[in-house]
Amino acid sequence: MDSTVVKPDEAKAAAPEGVTEILNLNRVRTYSAPEPNWLKERRLHAWDVYEKTPMPTTRLEEWRYTDLKKKLHLDSLAWPKLTECEDDFGACPDGLQEAMQADHSASGHVWEIDGVVFHIDLEEGLQDKGVVLTSLRRAIDSHPELLQQNLATEALPPESGKFEALNGALWTDGIFLHVPKGVRLDLPIRVTRWVSQSGVALFSRTLIIAEPGSQVSLVDEILSEDLESQTLVSDAVEVLAKDGAQVQYVSLQRLGHGAFYQASQRTLAQRDSTLDTLNVSMGASTSRVDLNAQLLGPGANSDMLGLYFGDDSQHFDHNTSQDHIAPNTSSDLLYKGALDHTSRSVFRGIIKVHPKAQKTDAYQTNRNLLLSDDARADSLPNLEIQADDVRCSHGATVGQLDAESRFYLMSRGLTREQAERLVVLGFLGEVLSRLPLGGVVEKVTKVIEAKLRQV
Amino acid sequence: MGRKTTFERLGIPEAEQKILAGVGAQYESEMVYHSLKKEWEDKGVIFDSIEEGLKNHPELFRKYFGTVIPSQDNKFAAMNSAVWSGGSFVYIPKGVELDTPLQAYFRVNQERMGQFERTLIIADEGSHAHYIEGCTAPVYSTESFHSGVIEIVVHKDARFRYTTIQNWSNNMYNLVTQRALVHQNASMEWLDGNLGSKLTMKYPSCYLIGEGAHGEILSIAYAGNGQHHDTGGKVVHAAPRTTSSIVSKSISRGTGRSSYRGLCKVYEGATHAKSNVECDALLLNETSRTDTYPYIEIEERDANVGHEATVSKVGEEQLFYLMSRGMSEEEAMALIVRGFIEPIAKELPMEYAVELNRLIDLEMEGTVG
Repeated sequence: MDSTVVKPDEAKAAAPEGVTEILNLNRVRTYSAPEPNWLKERRLHAWDVYEKTPMPTTRLEEWRYTDLKKKLHLDSLAWPKLTECEDDFGACPDGLQEAMQADHSASGHVWEIDGVVFHIDLEEGLQDKGVVLTSLRRAIDSHPELLQQNLATEALPPESGKFEALNGALWTDGIFLHVPKGVRLDLPIRVTRWVSQSGVALFSRTLIIAEPGSQVSLVDEILSEDLESQTLVSDAVEVLAKDGAQVQYVSLQRLGHGAFYQASQRTLAQRDSTLDTLNVSMGASTSRVDLNAQLLGPGANSDMLGLYFGDDSQHFDHNTSQDHIAPNTSSDLLYKGALDHTSRSVFRGIIKVHPKAQKTDAYQTNRNLLLSDDARADSLPNLEIQADDVRCSHGATVGQLDAESRFYLMSRGLTREQAERLVVLGFLGEVLSRLPLGGVVEKVTKVIEAKLRQV
Repeated sequence: MGRKTTFERLGIPEAEQKILAGVGAQYESEMVYHSLKKEWEDKGVIFDSIEEGLKNHPELFRKYFGTVIPSQDNKFAAMNSAVWSGGSFVYIPKGVELDTPLQAYFRVNQERMGQFERTLIIADEGSHAHYIEGCTAPVYSTESFHSGVIEIVVHKDARFRYTTIQNWSNNMYNLVTQRALVHQNASMEWLDGNLGSKLTMKYPSCYLIGEGAHGEILSIAYAGNGQHHDTGGKVVHAAPRTTSSIVSKSISRGTGRSSYRGLCKVYEGATHAKSNVECDALLLNETSRTDTYPYIEIEERDANVGHEATVSKVGEEQLFYLMSRGMSEEEAMALIVRGFIEPIAKELPMEYAVELNRLIDLEMEGTVG
């Protein structure tokens, strides 16, 4: 056989999966050129891992119900125009203004458009106490040691997976929050991120470090209008709660149709810390969230809440894990969702109790409400228990709207639609009542109500 | 020792006279003993070895064989379909109700033996029967392999129960595919007890294909030192108003590992389907392990599906109470474990429930200290 002819198989092997005209080594090299060496090396290493990691297929348990071949077209994506926007509220798109206006009670704000932060403010008193709230790009110069030590190292190294590696190589900006020892923030930090370009790939990161005994909550809202062509929005979130710290991380995803949202979140909870998360998935055509909560120190606790509402042909995939590594830790997960039209949800959760993690308390519940004949819900609540002195349980249900509740409400004079709306709100409201963070409950309730009106 | 004598010594023919409608015994790879009470024979009940079934009832055999579990279903089913030998062929005619169970007994006596049991059961319309399978093997230092395929067709309005109490020696690989097709208003129950073997992988399944069909899977697993039981059940709802329930109880002791792996699938159109899955795991030592891997796939709005699982260790308060009543720790432990599996043991015929409890007591010996 003529040896110069490249067989199809070899041609395939020559170009690693996921390398495209805009996502390639050159991009990483050019992008990282002005950056310090440690970061440049880190990006190149992440790219190397990306190239070597095969694209996840449905043969992998974690991707069994989300077929990337059908859902994500990396080849069609362009590189976004990364321009610093003018820091002017009035010049912002209407949707962004609306979201920002609702966020008045806050300790600080971050605004981002298309993966670039353009505004940050933080209460003066907190600045004096040493709280750092800045963009990740600025932090490269202002806090190199903290970044070098914690960015994509312990929590989300590129080895975590294909998307984690891609984000590690190509992140453009993001949020850096550092709360010093013993400092407590009464009001949440509010992050509002807007996506305006369609057909692009966006990579953003969040790094939160809460030193011992500190307390902070961050509400991260990402939104857009409907996008004409597929847009990849990739997030990597690392949350570190040191001994006795209390941290709440809330993600509100309200992207428009056309978005492929991919988020990897990892929370590391040290001794006696509390690290709670809430993931609200409302938007995007496809939304995949990987959340891994690690309980690393005795006495650590994580509440993990999730809420999703699908309509049209939306596809939600939540993949969670509760890793109990130290003894005397607890975690409690509750994910609830309603699905209308032809939307679909996947919940895959695992509680892992490591051999030394005696006295673990771990719970996991996933409940789904199917509102239409064509909706579908798959639920895989898993347990892997390797210690004996534990209390673990999990439950999952899939059902339809409770006919009795509806009947009762209708007997009180409500129309059928009103009654159904109320029952769905009540069903999903249970999640919000577990994390009564100012402003979040109202905001999410409004979004759900808007969705219900379209039904 | 003659093959038949082994079974005589085990008291099988004797038990048959007293409580069983029919008995079959398989020794290595062939059926050595088969008998059926005359009154059932007269009513047209067939209880043969699978080979005799093929010879004597070719039409029935051809109509049903390989229809529930085709050879391409999975690797071990394919292997079994190629080399099967031994197993039972059962036909219960229309409307016949057997009031005592049919019993099959499997034994592997040689070391490094592969046993490929193949069983085909047809319960015709409105019939009613119970089939019990027991498995044992003596302990050898090398591993043996049991790969069974069990196909069951439960026709309209019929009720069938299949009970397995598996106590293979601890060097047996036990990989079994068990599946039942359940037609309109019919009911299928799998009762699955796993005590022996080194590794068991077995997920009895009910495919509910007729309106109003009902499937039930009750399973207990006891994984002692070095054992891994990967068991569970599958229910597939493919017709309206079908109902199912899975109850799984597992006990892990020493370095034992028990895993529940199950599927509950509701296809679109299976309106008013209802399914409930309950898994409880009991851990006896800090080296024991338990896993739960349920899959819930729901495509129909008018379905109600629930899954619940709990993991716990033997309660110190329970132990303390029983010991304050004068029991030794070992006795107290055994009592708690028996209480834990009681919901399943009580479904067994009396003789088997007694046997199961005795086996558990034996397994529990030396648990403490």
